[in-house]
Amino acid sequence: MTGLIWVVEAILLGCLLVNRFAGLSVVRPAWARWSLICGAGAAVGIGLTSVLFFFCGSLLGMRAAALGIEVAVLAWAGYEVFRRRAPAPQPAKKKQTPLLVYIAAIGLLVALAMATAAIATSWDANPQGDWDAWAIWNLRARFLASGGALAQRAWSPVLGRSTHAEYPLLLSSFVARSWAFSHSFSTAVPAATSYAFFLALIALVAGGIAALRGPVLGLLAALALASTPALLHQVPSQYADMPLACYFAGAIVFALLDRPILAGIFAGCAAWTKDEGVLFLAVILAVTAALKRRAVLATLAGAAPAAAVAVIFKMWLARGNAGLLSTSLPGAGKRLADAGRYGVTLAAFGREFTGMGVGWYHPVLPLIALAVVLRFDRERRRDAAYCGALVGFLLLGYFGVYILTNNDLTWLLQSSLNRVLVQVWPVLVLAGFVALRVPQSAVIVKPVPLAAKARRKAR
Amino acid sequence: MPKQRISEHYPKAVIAGVVIAILLCLWGSFASYGSESDLQQQYRDPYMVSAQFTRLGGALSAIPEGAGIGYITDAPPGSGLEAGMFLSAQYVLAPRLLKRGAVAEWVLGNFSHPADFAAVGRSQGLLLQQDFGEGVVLFRKAQ
Repeated sequence: MTGLIWVVEAILLGCLLVNRFAGLSVVRPAWARWSLICGAGAAVGIGLTSVLFFFCGSLLGMRAAALGIEVAVLAWAGYEVFRRRAPAPQPAKKKQTPLLVYIAAIGLLVALAMATAAIATSWDANPQGDWDAWAIWNLRARFLASGGALAQRAWSPVLGRSTHAEYPLLLSSFVARSWAFSHSFSTAVPAATSYAFFLALIALVAGGIAALRGPVLGLLAALALASTPALLHQVPSQYADMPLACYFAGAIVFALLDRPILAGIFAGCAAWTKDEGVLFLAVILAVTAALKRRAVLATLAGAAPAAAVAVIFKMWLARGNAGLLSTSLPGAGKRLADAGRYGVTLAAFGREFTGMGVGWYHPVLPLIALAVVLRFDRERRRDAAYCGALVGFLLLGYFGVYILTNNDLTWLLQSSLNRVLVQVWPVLVLAGFVALRVPQSAVIVKPVPLAAKARRKAR
Repeated sequence: MPKQRISEHYPKAVIAGVVIAILLCLWGSFASYGSESDLQQQYRDPYMVSAQFTRLGGALSAIPEGAGIGYITDAPPGSGLEAGMFLSAQYVLAPRLLKRGAVAEWVLGNFSHPADFAAVGRSQGLLLQQDFGEGVVLFRKAQ
């Protein structure tokens, strides 16, 4: 269980750095600010420590340096936050929180409790996670945690195609770091990491939408995600799809909040998490260049560190391992011209989308209910177009990979498409909530009688 | 400046719509919990990965960490059983690196059924070094 201390330490480090450097102090309401700081802090802290451990520990063989740098930065960031803490503001007006916000907040807390209970049943039944967890992500973490020359086995071609030694290593490297620092291979570390990404995703969406569109929509967006059956099923699997979904959503939230460097950091971390993240990085840079031109350089700068590690890994370290695209090039023209593949893939997309629910429930139902009541806000067309373009190009990219692949198409669709949709679902929810109208309210301002105030003080 | 209290009141249609959306989400949460609990009860560690730590415990302590070892099995090649047995063994034995076939000085035998393991080894030019039980044996290449 000491491994959990190192998971918490990484999250704390990320929270302190985001609090110090992200410039989120202007975000209102305050709970949305803290939600963003904690959500971004968890994801950035895990990404940052993963990169640091991979670079210092796995490549240079200097684990003690990685540990030392982490602790030093933690101490410095903690001191900086303490030194620069702002005095508590004195509000001139006391704003009563609408009842609807309380109802939505209680709903979200209930949904999170139910989600945690559902995830916990899986922790108990399958502590090692599902197939890909022990066959890919945690297996490679065990190599990386072993240190020295043994760490290089995490990308050895001997592992074979089923272990995907060419996949990027954010998740494996973070789990390896926590195992190595705690000198144990506790199953609690990958389980807690996946859960932390789930909570970070919820916090980022809640805080981001609350800052952009008000607290009611922020809480509802988080609630819609926290009650998505297909998403919840991925949390205890310990796969890289949950971290990827979190990085996708975080990048878009910060792009919409006009924090392009932070958006870039998230997109870079996505590229260091899984191959789909490389596609996302390309798509977000292209869409940002088209719709938010001034932000593109800052986004690129934010993405550079993690993306550079991903490029070094792909181009040099793991170049002996053939990726999905490179193995699909022979005969690609023939597959592209095969109309039947398009039909099979489209049908699978439809089937898996309808299968994201449980029984009669589908996660799109709450969105439809809100769209009917609130309708869409034309003034948010630009943000909706940004999110929509990202989702559209991502899905188009995924669709193209399925058409091109030389793997058995039916098997690949069955084994991966549900997870691919889970990666994209939070972005779809963001696109929907960004475009919704804010619930219109009548504002009533009542002066508080000074005599009554004085009487209360006297008591 | 006198203190002011601001309260917001939403139209009834908005309140109704938002409450319906919240109830729908909570329906999804309860449905997810039921579905996930049933699924996990039905499929408790279906590939018995946790059990492999005990089953392969003897081999784990006998084979040095840096070793690259061969791997033979009686599971049908290309089957789900073979892939599950191989990958779970690789996971448990990491950082030791398994290579399918009798391709190294030391070879792990991972069998799903009882057999004359010494004879199986001899047929592939291997000498039985240690039988750890439960179908786990360690071979060494015959000189």
